[in-house]
Amino acid sequence: MIAKSVVLACSAERAFALFTEHAGKWWPRERRHTGDAASVIRIEASGRFFERAHDGVEVELGAVRVFEPAQRLILDWYPGTGATFPTRVEVTFEPVAGGTQVTVVHETGAARPDLFSDNAAGYRRSWDQVFASLAAYAAAPCVDY
Amino acid sequence: MDALDALGNPTRREILNELRRAPLPVGALATRFDVSRPAISRHLRVLMDVGLVSTEEHGTQNVYAVRVQGFAVVREYIDSFWDVALSQLAALAQE
Repeated sequence: MIAKSVVLACSAERAFALFTEHAGKWWPRERRHTGDAASVIRIEASGRFFERAHDGVEVELGAVRVFEPAQRLILDWYPGTGATFPTRVEVTFEPVAGGTQVTVVHETGAARPDLFSDNAAGYRRSWDQVFASLAAYAAAPCVDY
Repeated sequence: MDALDALGNPTRREILNELRRAPLPVGALATRFDVSRPAISRHLRVLMDVGLVSTEEHGTQNVYAVRVQGFAVVREYIDSFWDVALSQLAALAQE
């Protein structure tokens, strides 16, 4: 499990809108899937979570499980492990002094049973440790983590 | 190609599943799959390149094993993704 958060200097409504409607503006450029560094990425109430290049090519990046404006998002996350075994991302938006705290929790989700399914407890643990150790990073200062 | 890209391929995930039970040479590994031995070799090469699999010489053959430390690469990938993403999101909120 990885947990990170940041305080945005805006309302929860705006933070949620930035995160979902303007994902193409915060998504790291070198991690685009269409090859278009200025692609549009949207997380929609309809359930779609996709990237669209300027030539119209679209790539599904996941699926929206929970879409609660200004409060919470839960996403199936395809990058890395694919649509069959997505990882899971939960994003919460909480009003705090100075703006809105956005917290991202990224978990292995369905990817874990696939990789470390049966009785290999040791490896299952190691996968857990990989994600558990990420939590250590969450203690860092607000913006820069 | 990085570790997460490598994990995106179902055959490579299955290879990791086999190797975590026991280290194997490519021949023994290939008999457990429907795909060709050269294809298995290519997948192993990818898994080695991203650090998820290591190899050791046993006599005349190479034996492949899961490299648990390699999964730190996955952690770093996700970690740095959200580092960049959240700092860019914060900048966006100030526009």
